[in-house]
This record gives sequence, C-alpha cells and structure tokens, in this order.
Amino acid sequence: MGKLPGNASETLPAGRRQFFVRLIQAIHGAMGATLAVVVGRAIGGPAAQAEGGERWLPAAEFPRLEEGRPTTVTLRVVRRDGMTDVVDRRVVYLLRSGDGVRALDSTCTHLGCRTAYNAETSCIECPCHGGVFDTTGAVIGGPPPAPLKELVTRVDGTRVMVRV
Amino acid sequence: MWTRVLNWLDSRTGYRALLHHLLDEPLPPGTGWAFTTGSVVSLLLGVQVVTGVVLGMYYVPSPTLAWDSVQYIMQSLPMGWLVRGLHFWGASFIVVATLVHLGRVFVLGSYKAPREVTWLTGLVSLLVILGFALSGYLLPWDQKAYWATTVTVNVARSAPVVGEALATMLRGGEHLGALTLGRWYAAHVFILPLLLGLFVVAHLALMRRHGISGPITPRQGAPVAFFPWHVMKDTVMMAGAFSGLLAVALLLKAPLDPVANPADASYVPRPEWYFLWLFQLLKYFPGPLEPVGTQLVPGALVGFLLLLPFLDRRPDRHPWARARRPFTVAMLGVAGVLTGLTVLGLRDAPPTEHGATWGLVPLGGQALVMGEGATCSRCHVDGGAAAPLTRVRLRRDDEWLLNHVVDPVAIAPGVRTEDDPAPRSTLGRYGPQAVVAYLRRVEGGTAAPEVGPDVALAASTFVGVCATCHRLDGDGGQVGPELTDVGARYDKVALQALLENGQGRMPGFAKRLAPEQLQALTDYLASRK
Repeated sequence: MGKLPGNASETLPAGRRQFFVRLIQAIHGAMGATLAVVVGRAIGGPAAQAEGGERWLPAAEFPRLEEGRPTTVTLRVVRRDGMTDVVDRRVVYLLRSGDGVRALDSTCTHLGCRTAYNAETSCIECPCHGGVFDTTGAVIGGPPPAPLKELVTRVDGTRVMVRV
Repeated sequence: MWTRVLNWLDSRTGYRALLHHLLDEPLPPGTGWAFTTGSVVSLLLGVQVVTGVVLGMYYVPSPTLAWDSVQYIMQSLPMGWLVRGLHFWGASFIVVATLVHLGRVFVLGSYKAPREVTWLTGLVSLLVILGFALSGYLLPWDQKAYWATTVTVNVARSAPVVGEALATMLRGGEHLGALTLGRWYAAHVFILPLLLGLFVVAHLALMRRHGISGPITPRQGAPVAFFPWHVMKDTVMMAGAFSGLLAVALLLKAPLDPVANPADASYVPRPEWYFLWLFQLLKYFPGPLEPVGTQLVPGALVGFLLLLPFLDRRPDRHPWARARRPFTVAMLGVAGVLTGLTVLGLRDAPPTEHGATWGLVPLGGQALVMGEGATCSRCHVDGGAAAPLTRVRLRRDDEWLLNHVVDPVAIAPGVRTEDDPAPRSTLGRYGPQAVVAYLRRVEGGTAAPEVGPDVALAASTFVGVCATCHRLDGDGGQVGPELTDVGARYDKVALQALLENGQGRMPGFAKRLAPEQLQALTDYLASRK
C-alpha cells in the first residue's frame, strides 16, 4: 500500500465525509449512553435503595418493666447487607411511665459511643467523653449536642414493641 | 480557548500524530463490508469488559455466597439482571462473531504470507475466549455450573499420562469446591483478560503492520482512508450487533439454576451450546476410546487451524482456486461436522428442569410452613431467635434440615439425650420432606404459584398419604408408580376408581379420605398429562 497523499479522501466529497463523521459519533454515542445508563444504575443503585419499610420488634414484657428505672434491652435487628444478612445489636432503654413505654436509643449523640445506665447515680453515662443524660434522655452534662434519640413504641397486650 | 488547550496538549504529547496514524490508515480500494467482522468482535469484547467489571463489584467467589450474590444481582440490584444478561448472552455473541471473523479470514485467504502470525494471534485469542466461556460457567455456582464443571474436569482427567495431575490442578485439590471456584474466578477476571488483551493488541498491531488484505483481486484506484469511510461500515455492523445483543438480553433473562448441590447427582449437566459438539462427540467414544473424543479430535482440529497458513502457502486467495480447493473442502467438512454434532446435541432433549416445578409436595410443604397452626414463625421471625423464613438461606444438607423440621430444638447433633427424647413429629410421615422441598423451591428463586383451594386440598392430601409411595415432579417415594404424567395414562373415572378401591399393592382410600379430598386429588391428577 502506498502512502496516501495528505488526506486519503480528497477524491470523495467533503460534505459526505462530515455527515459520516457526525453519524459515527452519534451511533457510538448512543451505544455508549445505553451502556452507561445500565451500568450507572447497577453501580449507583444499591445506595439509592431504601431499606424496606418500618419494622416492629418485640422488646420486652410490659409487666416486667419498673417505673422510673430504665431497663436495658438488646434488640437483634436482622438487616440485609447486599447478598448477605447481618445482625445489628441495638441496645435500647425502655422506660415505663404509667400505661405507656418510652424507648431511647443508647447511642450517644456526641460521637456514637454506647452509653450505659448507672444505677448509683440514676443517670445514663457515656464512657467516651463524659456525656451524661438523665433517664428521659435529656443532656445534663458533657459534650453531647442533643438528647438521646427516642424510638416509637407501642404495647400489644403485654408485649412492648419497638419500631426500628 | 479550547483550540489553545488542544494545541498545548498536542505540543506536549503529539496526540494528533497518533490519531492521524490510527485513523487515516490507507485501505486498499474495494475494502468492503467483509472487513467489518473484527470490529464487531472488539465491540462485543468491550461490552464484556464493562459489564464484567460491574458484575465483579457484586459477585463473591465463595461457595457459600457465590450463588446468593448472583441472585442478588438478578433480583435486587437495579438493572443487575440486564448487566448479567448482556454479559451472559454476550459470551454467545462473541463466540458467533469470532467464528464469523475466522470464516471470513479463511474464505478471503487473508492469513497468507505475510499475515501468518496475525492468524496465529487470532486463533490463540479464540482459545482464550473459549477459556473465558468455560471458567465463567462455573462462577454462578448453580447446579448447571457445578455439574458442567465436573464434566469439564473429567474431560481433562481423561488425558493420557498427565490427566490426573491436570484435573487436580484445575480443581485445586481432590474435590470440586471452594478452591476450584477461587482459581477459576482468578482465571476469569485476572489471567484470561490479561492474556486476551496481549493477544488482541498483538493481533491489531500486526494487522496495521501488514495492512488490510483487501479484496481477493486487487482493484485499481486511490486508497481509501480508514476514517470515516470504513469506520462508517464498522459502526453500522457494531450497532447491529449491539442492538441484537441488547434485544436478546432484554427479552431473555440469563438463567440461574438452584444453588449447587454436590449431593444431588441426579442432575444431568449440559454444556453451553458452543461446547455441545464436543459433548456429543464424547458419546461416540466410550470407555478406553474416550481420549479420542476429548483430546485427539479437538487437538487435531486446533492443530489443523494453527498449521493452516503454513500448509496453504500458494499465493492464490480465491477459496476455489486449484491450490486452495482441498483446504476449502476440509474447512467446509469441519464446519459441517461441528454443526451436525451441535444439532444432534440440541436434539437430545434435556431432562425436565429439576427443582423448578411446583408439584403437590412443595405446595403441601408450603401449607405446613405458612398455614394455620404452623410453628416455624415462633423462632423464624424478625427479632427472633432465627432469621425470618423469607430470608433464611439453606446452607445445610437435607438430612440436617429434615431433623430440624421434625425436632426444631435439636439444631446440633448430640443435643438430645436419653432423658430428653425428641418429640413426636406433628407433620406426618412425609411432611418434613415436603417442608424441605418447599424451602428448596423458594431458595431456588421460583415463587410459589397461586393455587385454588382444590389444589391446596389435593396438596395436603398428597403429602399426608400419597407421597410416601408415589413421586410427582421429583418429590415423593419410589415404591409406587411415578404420577407426574398420570393423567395421560388414566382418565378421571379410572383415577377415581383407583383411589377409592385400590389396585394390586395399593390400598383403597374410600374410607380413609373424605369425599372432597378424593375429588380434589382426582381432579388434580387427571390434569397431569
């Protein structure tokens, strides 16, 4: 094959060349875009998928809760993690007040450490940075910026259900 | 502004000279549509790379999770089914496109001097592509994957002298399992892509070095630039292949069998269609002759193709030219035999898909698990001692499952002592098996069909009474005759009489079953043809 003189297509009309270039770009663009949409959805999809609905878990028997003193319970929350299941252990304080029950998440609102109820001081304390909450979850000392997160509860007969 | 940036980039990298070199290649006049086959292969390879990377984000190469991860891709991941569909069907498209390309190169005699090495790199690429197909087949870890790979390994084992060592190497040990999956995965995503990349680059570099072979009889005239005149043709063909692949992937879901069960040797594996000729060939070489089918014939075929440019050395390129005629006849013969064997292989109808049909036994099991009075959900519940049944994954063998269904507390052998015997099962003689059959169907990814009260009654009756002796859709005892297509042998009246009065060793059930139970069973069985 001899070398082409400059541009090989001098003999062919320039208008057609321009049209072909645009057409090639359009077709490859369309194929690429199709693939990008499919692949993009598959890559970005899981992040956009919400955990399905609200879940109520049985937490305790109502008659066993003491008035004025938080009961610490551990909830086993089975959660989907891609193709596997993981079990989250969520520690919750249950507080009886009359016929109702309040539930507080034990996670400290400061940096996410797990708090614990101290029966001697009747306070909920965080071991990490000295945050202190009262038994209603309100901050009474230390760095936490907000009260403990409250969870929705209901009582079914004698069973206390907590929404997670 | 933009021009200035590009000018600067060109002065630092010289990219325009590279583009000019890549795009403005002069092609012989008359280079037509026949020379677009290679582009189609490269487009399809590109699609495999892109979809393969996405699948790699979610796939887990371990026997405990491989199948779950593929099922996750198919059912939960947005567009995951399409990504896998493109990858799965893309494999078939590539095999077809590569064979078309090979055929084109043969017909136009494009492998002749000085292009012998280009031909060799192409052939090696084809073998690597077949290696991709073979290794990719195992990865979903479903029944088909497991048993087809068992066959593959046994084919390798039949090789003389080195067979046993080769099989051990392929399995990564004595048995097909976690170690096998690991190395086949590594081959599929690291080794083979690297090899294919090397050979494809070499193939393209050699193509550029020697130029396109062009039409058989060189034409007069000015050479034509590759871009855009030939690229336009390439693009049209690529778009055709891409649309075809997309259409197939949209219309046909990539299959996923139930999870691999090494204990279920009843599964009859079949290879993908492009290996079917080999599968069929093995049927003609039984016993000691087997290596002829597994090694000699395929080896001779590959050898013939590798040697082709060195045997067919005369410059004539026309396939029917005197010097080329024997080779053309030989190639046609090979193509004919391969096609014939493939057709014969396709005709050997595969056995009914095991574990996909919902007979009465799994339906009866469903009633035992989900119906009134079922106790499974005491533990299998959100926040309970065990995962809810909708999320449970069967990682135990059937024996363990049966024990657990009968005696849920005994979740480990030796838990029961003489002082603490197992309670009597409330599920009846075949109930536990029905529960396991139900769970296996659910795990297999097929949703239970909605059935009316009549079929539900037939199911519970069948599990309670019939399944002890009779088999239906793969479940049940084998003492009595199989009932899967009993409706073809008896009509309704005959069936009713049989059920009521019995025959031979079969007792009559007129007294043991209620009339509506007999009616439901008769109706259902009569419909099984």
